[in-house]
Amino acid sequence: MLYITSVNGKDFSVEILDDHHVKVDDQIFEVDFMSIANQPVFSLIISGKSFEAYVYPGEDDYQVLLQGRSYSVKVEDEREKRLQKAGGSTVSQSSEYHLKSPMPGMVVSLPVAEGQPVTKGQVLVILESMKMQNELKSPRDGTLARVRVKPGDNVEQRQPLLSVV
Amino acid sequence: MNKVLIANRGEIAVRIIRACRELGIETVAVYSDVDRQALHVRYADEAYLLGPAPSRESYLRADKIIAIAKKSGAQAIHPGYGFLAERADFAQACIDEGLIFIGPKPSAIAAMGDKAIARATVTKAGVKVVPGTEGEGSLSNESLLRISGEIGFPLLIKATAGGGGKGMREVKNIEEMPGLIDSARREAEASFGDGNVYLEKLVLGARHIEFQILADQHGNVIHLGERECSLQRRHQKLLEESPSPFIGDDTDLRESMGSVAVKAAQAVDYVNAGTIEFLVDKDKNYYFLEMNTRLQVEHPITEMVTGIDIVKEQIRIARGRHLSYTQKDVHQNGAAIECRINAEDPYNSYLPSTGLISHSILPTGPGIRVDTGVYPGFEISSFYDPLISKLVSWGESRGQAILRMRRALEEYRIVGVRTNIPFHQRMMDSHRFMGGQFDTRFVEERFSMDDADDSKTTNMEIAAVIATLMTHQHLEHSAQIVRRGERDTSNWKWVGRWERMHR
Repeated sequence: MLYITSVNGKDFSVEILDDHHVKVDDQIFEVDFMSIANQPVFSLIISGKSFEAYVYPGEDDYQVLLQGRSYSVKVEDEREKRLQKAGGSTVSQSSEYHLKSPMPGMVVSLPVAEGQPVTKGQVLVILESMKMQNELKSPRDGTLARVRVKPGDNVEQRQPLLSVV
Repeated sequence: MNKVLIANRGEIAVRIIRACRELGIETVAVYSDVDRQALHVRYADEAYLLGPAPSRESYLRADKIIAIAKKSGAQAIHPGYGFLAERADFAQACIDEGLIFIGPKPSAIAAMGDKAIARATVTKAGVKVVPGTEGEGSLSNESLLRISGEIGFPLLIKATAGGGGKGMREVKNIEEMPGLIDSARREAEASFGDGNVYLEKLVLGARHIEFQILADQHGNVIHLGERECSLQRRHQKLLEESPSPFIGDDTDLRESMGSVAVKAAQAVDYVNAGTIEFLVDKDKNYYFLEMNTRLQVEHPITEMVTGIDIVKEQIRIARGRHLSYTQKDVHQNGAAIECRINAEDPYNSYLPSTGLISHSILPTGPGIRVDTGVYPGFEISSFYDPLISKLVSWGESRGQAILRMRRALEEYRIVGVRTNIPFHQRMMDSHRFMGGQFDTRFVEERFSMDDADDSKTTNMEIAAVIATLMTHQHLEHSAQIVRRGERDTSNWKWVGRWERMHR
């Protein structure tokens, strides 16, 4: 199976030939790949060289932590990629941003009122967790909507806080 | 003294239990609801529940802690750092109840705990301080605004009762003052129950260098050399080393600062272990910053280079004995580095990360020490600070210590929460760090986790292969378990619901 895998924006063609062989661009490598003890830690032995990495799923990519570096990796199978190109754009991607709490904590303040315009990088919520105040910022321009919390609320991890539309 | 209560949690409680064990002293742990399975509870000889998870209802309950000490027959209380460690009223309450407080006298805590009084006291003893509002206690917003003009910008607003960067704000101009005073007061109030703040001139290009001191009840005061703590983010120390590469082989500077540190401690009649923090500018002028009247988080690096067990000395001092060392017995041997491994994501604005530690491999081997209070199966909650462990390396030279630290960071595996290990790995590769060229602003202003700024070979191809093989395995796996028609509704409906659910 052929995949087009982009790492920090650079495309690689990775073909899985069988359980122990992959072709990266034009080179064939012998590989042994497994997850360690069912953890998001993966061990890869490739042509005798041993690597270990953490792989975390992100919004639409994976974050691969390898030897102290972080790589943003998108994996698409080649057919999918071709279809997308033909279709012109990706599947109806919702342009709304839903801010979820990255950690449990307490809402200290909401500097922007609902319905107000916000700009990229503007602080939307100040959340206190682990004795630190953390600023949660807007990743895009838009309007603040659907504010679901108020100062003093305790929130759980991944709890929806508000949206930017 | 044959039984000690440790009024703390996490790695420092474990550290103190270890010292007691080695001295043949029995240990009493206290814990909150969420710490029932914590390592300090498992290691101690006795353990008693304090109450619910929030610190206010557990580790800050001085009354309950003293009651438990009496009930368990402990003769002494070691407060560790944070929580009740720098509360003069708690130290006094221990004494009133006939318990030994392993730390300084309440009067010394009070004198050094109020930063304003501390500055006035050491100034009187002839120690230079950073220009600022040296005056007494509480100042109104109006007078702070007025004085800010005299000190000049940039300046710092600091919590009078503060520490650890809480309630601290940096101000660039007078326009920002009112808003930042309010937020500093709010944070100080929340953290310390005291909203008082003071002002201090911001020394540019400053290094943060501190001296460990030990003082017994017989008037002997010695220092154990310095620790370089300039690598900070939002005034939280992230990495410390001893000796300081800035002081280096300038033994005159070291001697001079050390004797000033001793003088500052003597000014408040100090007893037990303490730390004098200095700001040092690029011309080697140094100013007294504050005194921490307790054991410091970063004490292990001093232990590694001097060979002195600071916690054991604390207990020895509390027992009324003489120090085991005189100043001329103290030598710095080699170099040590401490990386604070925090549950925070350096790739996502250092946001704290909580969760269950599902897997962990600690680095070991020559020259490595790890102080930790967690293990696989333990949950990192949002109630306490994000410190997972302190990874310490020792080497015959600073270079050796860096190489060892690099090796240890690469070995360290923690799964379940995000950690700042990649931050430390990046720091160990930084030319500025290797050259010892950094100040307190380095991490925030000139350090980046992005790949663009360095030439070290990357492994993009390997990352591609790993992610692809993982995706491939997932696809094959799900192809086997999810067959077409297995859901009772159409997949389109399913996707619609799923999307709405995640709005």
